[in-house]
Amino acid sequence: METPIKVLLVEDSPVDSRLLQLLLGESKTMYFAWTCVSRLADALAKLRHEDFDVVLSDLTLPDSQGFETFQALHAQAPAMPMIVLSGTDDETMAVKAVREGAQDYLVKGKVDTHVLTRAITYAIERHRAEHALQESERHYKHLLESITDYTYTVQVEKGAPNRTVHSPTCVSITGYTPEEYDEEPDLWFEMIHPNDRPAVLEQIAEVLKGKTPPPLEHRLIHKTGHVRWVRNTVVPGRDRHGELIYYDGLISDITERKLAEENLVKSEAFYHSLVEHLPQYIFRKDLQERFTFANKRFCAMLGKPLEEIINKTDFDFYPPELAAKYQRDDRYVIRTGKIFETIEENKSPLGERLYVNVIKTPIYEASGQIIGIQCIFWDITERKQFEERLQKANEELARSEAALRRSHEELKSAQLQLIQAEKMESIGTLAAGVAHEVKNPLAIMMMGINYLNRKLGKTEDENIAVVLKEMRDAIDRADSITRGLLNFSASRQLDVKPEDLNSVVDETLRLVRHALNSNGIELVKTYGEHLPPVGADKTQIQQVFVNIFMNAIQAMPNRGKLKVRTYCKQLTETTHFEGFRKAHPFWVGDTAVVAEVEDTGTGIAEEHLAKIFDPFFTTKPTGVGTGLGLPVSKKIIELHGGSLDIRNLKEGGVRVTIMLKAHRTQT
Amino acid sequence: MSTKKRILLVDDEKSFTNLLKLNLEDTGDYEVRVENWAEDALPAAKEFKPDLILLDIIMPRMPGGNVAAQIKADPALKNTPIVFLTAAVRKHQVEENEGIICDFPCLAKPATVEEVIDAIEKNLKK
Repeated sequence: METPIKVLLVEDSPVDSRLLQLLLGESKTMYFAWTCVSRLADALAKLRHEDFDVVLSDLTLPDSQGFETFQALHAQAPAMPMIVLSGTDDETMAVKAVREGAQDYLVKGKVDTHVLTRAITYAIERHRAEHALQESERHYKHLLESITDYTYTVQVEKGAPNRTVHSPTCVSITGYTPEEYDEEPDLWFEMIHPNDRPAVLEQIAEVLKGKTPPPLEHRLIHKTGHVRWVRNTVVPGRDRHGELIYYDGLISDITERKLAEENLVKSEAFYHSLVEHLPQYIFRKDLQERFTFANKRFCAMLGKPLEEIINKTDFDFYPPELAAKYQRDDRYVIRTGKIFETIEENKSPLGERLYVNVIKTPIYEASGQIIGIQCIFWDITERKQFEERLQKANEELARSEAALRRSHEELKSAQLQLIQAEKMESIGTLAAGVAHEVKNPLAIMMMGINYLNRKLGKTEDENIAVVLKEMRDAIDRADSITRGLLNFSASRQLDVKPEDLNSVVDETLRLVRHALNSNGIELVKTYGEHLPPVGADKTQIQQVFVNIFMNAIQAMPNRGKLKVRTYCKQLTETTHFEGFRKAHPFWVGDTAVVAEVEDTGTGIAEEHLAKIFDPFFTTKPTGVGTGLGLPVSKKIIELHGGSLDIRNLKEGGVRVTIMLKAHRTQT
Repeated sequence: MSTKKRILLVDDEKSFTNLLKLNLEDTGDYEVRVENWAEDALPAAKEFKPDLILLDIIMPRMPGGNVAAQIKADPALKNTPIVFLTAAVRKHQVEENEGIICDFPCLAKPATVEEVIDAIEKNLKK
């Protein structure tokens, strides 16, 4: 059974609708599938959602009248064949509908099965044919539009062009039809770009001479005024005798290609300009480390023309270790595919040393395979030098700042020394005055006691003798204090002679032997051998050692150990000495003879350390110490150009270090 | 008539001169004249004609050294021995120099009466 023809029947009269269906149902050749609606709105809705082979429509509907009904339906489905049903009274309108695109019209009451079937069949077929024609036209048009070639034939008579025939596709390229070429014999020449005309004429002349010239690329002006590039290939045609009787020409539109070429050239020029005019050095290498490209700047750096660089390697231009380094970097890029960037020192083959910033990147081929590396580097010597200068300046600044701080420290220390020295000196002056003033009353008292002694000493009252004795002792004590004061304050002339420090120390130790023994103190002597003599006032130095030894002994009331050590040393550094006005008693390189006295006693309380050289400072019970022993000792040592240093030992006790200069024999 | 030695004592310390005079004269061997002002020393010496002069050094207005110079400059007195008795020197200095400092015999204050007498006797014998 055949596929039914789907009919949309738009008819508001149920009688007419029924009649039409009956009529078509009688057809022996066709089978119809009906969809019936009575209003335009319903018809439009059906057309939106379903496909029909044909529409049969009355023009007079409850919601639409006359020609508008057709228009609405046709607008909804323009590709749908449509047959208009009309009454006898509105046939004119039906004719108008046919003119506007309806396939046919039928007058109600004048149709039978045959007429109706034929109308429908014709409508469908005609519509199909129309559609096919439209398709074909479109296809052809599309084809024509995509053709970029056309041919022409030039008839030649007696060696001269006679008549030219253009193939129809010339329109697509030139915009002119073959007829236009026929009408205007010079059109073919006028459409050629003026600058290219001589070349075209030349090509024709060649052909006429019997040659087959190579294809010529030239411009022509399209009818619209646009310039088009064409390739003109000429094929001569000859008669039996070899005489030229015509030639065929094939014109191909190559505008796109030309534009692409031009763009390529422009792009090429752009990159070339970039590569050659940037102030950077640029080169490329293949996987074998051979140079495949170098820009002019890099060539100039190597001092070689490009052709002498291509296919060479770094080893041909750089020292081996530098070349090896460069290739190592290249291989890193090739291996990892990563960008390599560094700042390094570059020595050009011409001996120039530069700091350069280097960037190396891999070169990929289309498949994504790495086929080499490219490198761009540039001179940053100036920047580097500037940085170095900056750094140097910073260091200089830091150094001078340190020096400033140091000299400030020194100044502070010198100031402290000066204050201390000043203090000592004023105390010295004061002490001398006090000592003198005290001595006179002491002398008076002495005279008084002497007198009383003589007058009363012989009485039987023993107490008087005791009292006088006590007074006598008190004078002695006061006198010894004033003596210490004067020792301290007097700036005496030293009687300096070369002395052996070991003997001076040893003799002094004999003076205090009694005190050592009675306190149960063990004496440990370590005397350096072959000590150079020291320039010393022996009595004075002995006084110093007595003071030091007595201090040590008094610091060890419950036994202990007194260590005495002497040695000689070459000074490698100097230190400041408080209370000494001159900068340094010693210079680096001086030979010093040193005596160290250590005790295992109570040590010096931290808060007392700074005061031990202050005159009258004492921690001993009244009558035992005058507070002048250490200041006097220090003064004596300093007068000898030496130093006296006292410090607590970590393990307890005190170490006194006396340093004296080795005696210089005068020459 | 008197065998007593004449001692001129020049010192600005009045108490000291009083007591020393007392001590010396108490021995019965000396006649002591005291001057408490240095500038009075020369006239007193000319008048008193001492066998020995005990001279302080540090005195107001005129130091003992100047007094010594005046004495030495006087033809009648220039041989009179002078012993300095002063607080300006220290005993151990005196001892170390065997009693002579700057060409003059010296005694350091505070000295005992015995020491003063020793010095007097020692220098009188010359």
